[in-house]
Amino acid sequence: MVYYFSFRVVQSNIGHMLNGLGLGLFIGVISLFFGIILGLIVAFAAVSSNRAFNNIATWYTVFFRNIPLLLLAFIVYFGLPDVGIMMERKVSFIFTLSLYAGAYMAEIFRAGLQAIPKGIIEAGQVIGLTRFHICWNIQLPIMFRNVLPSMSNVLISLFKDTSLAASITVPELTYFARKLNVETFRVLEAWLSAAFLYIVTCYLMAYLLRKLEHKLRIE
Amino acid sequence: MEDKKVKKVIIIAMLISILLLSLTGIVSAQKSKLQTVLDRGYLLVGTGSANVPWHFIDEKGELVGFDIEMARILAIGLFNDPTKVKFVEQSPDARIPNLLTNKVDIVIQFMTITPGRGQLVAFSVPYYTEATALLIPADGKYKNYEEMVAAIKDGETITMATLLNIESNVLVQELLEGAVGTEYETVGLELQAINSGRADACSIDLSSALWLAKKEPEKYLLADRTAREMNNAAAMSPNDQVWINFVNLVFQDAMSGYTFKLYNDAYAKWFGGVELSEPKVGKPQIYR
Repeated sequence: MVYYFSFRVVQSNIGHMLNGLGLGLFIGVISLFFGIILGLIVAFAAVSSNRAFNNIATWYTVFFRNIPLLLLAFIVYFGLPDVGIMMERKVSFIFTLSLYAGAYMAEIFRAGLQAIPKGIIEAGQVIGLTRFHICWNIQLPIMFRNVLPSMSNVLISLFKDTSLAASITVPELTYFARKLNVETFRVLEAWLSAAFLYIVTCYLMAYLLRKLEHKLRIE
Repeated sequence: MEDKKVKKVIIIAMLISILLLSLTGIVSAQKSKLQTVLDRGYLLVGTGSANVPWHFIDEKGELVGFDIEMARILAIGLFNDPTKVKFVEQSPDARIPNLLTNKVDIVIQFMTITPGRGQLVAFSVPYYTEATALLIPADGKYKNYEEMVAAIKDGETITMATLLNIESNVLVQELLEGAVGTEYETVGLELQAINSGRADACSIDLSSALWLAKKEPEKYLLADRTAREMNNAAAMSPNDQVWINFVNLVFQDAMSGYTFKLYNDAYAKWFGGVELSEPKVGKPQIYR
């Protein structure tokens, strides 16, 4: 069977697709932001001397790193309303993705914290810095510089994961590509266009993040 | 001299082989899907598995439904045997790709005929005219269509889950003006939406709504409101007129001719409660 391409349908819907792309980027960035906060809390809990904190951190990362994101999205979106927690769909997905990102960031930060030489922390203690100042002025700056490449990977990964939000009707790029597909049967055109937009966006993100890494690197 | 004779024989043999291969190629190129299916011995049908009463898995774990019956009617037309059909379960997204790549011979998956889709596939004659209905959760805030209309007039927001489909937002407004539509990939997710309180109602095929309201009256109510009649048909590759003609012949005959009983029995089983008018003597039913 010969297939005749026609990108007219994509052209007439490009505005929706670009809006969807923008929404996906927004969700990815916001989720990373909350994921970083969660990840830091869990990472410090994981390296803490308090056994209870260690266990909570372990269970959190084990649970959220081993559950498929789509399943998690359905649990939050369809399941939580049954126990009285109803969130708007975008908020629901950001909440889900933040919890998910938090688990991955926790592991990245934990490794980053454990990689800081003990001597630097002891030097801080010797000069009389408080636990907070050691953490804020010594550990975190070193850790963030070291884990920036991994964080960049997580951001790009989170952005691609926003495609799953289409399943709970969040109007991002994949949602519109699917809608176009269903309405016009222009399967190849819809999915190829979406794929192209994802590839270009991810490539640009990786490029900009690499520039940032170079800028922040200590020579 | 001997060498020349041998060379002559080899050349003639090569020419004959090329000729035979070319003829085979011509025959293959002209071979219809109909012949391919007949040679294979069974029909490959693309369909879904999660939409009552069209195509779904019953308590015995078998794929059943009206689309399945139409496939079996086609198998009877081909092989005089309703079991000579294999089903390829596919999501709505995969309908066209599976046709394009010959993974299936035909798609019978309650497909709505639209001119836009007709540019890519060949539709059979319609085998059912559907309408869209409004399904309400039995334990929901609203018990009928009038209550929802009144609520919207009072400024309340009513959310309607709908299937990601042609003009689904227009359909939402035709069913309940002022409602906010949210589009889901599958009917299953639509139902989850109303079951979890994510939506106050859902727009769904009337046949599915009747089925659900009848089978689970403690969960679903059917609002007295329908909209947008549309024709469902099977889809085929557009380049094979022989196959298209055959499928149309089988379907038309089942709906109005010699094999009417097959269609009538399937209809009664899955859309029960409606008496179909039997074909009458004289002018064929399809032209009345």
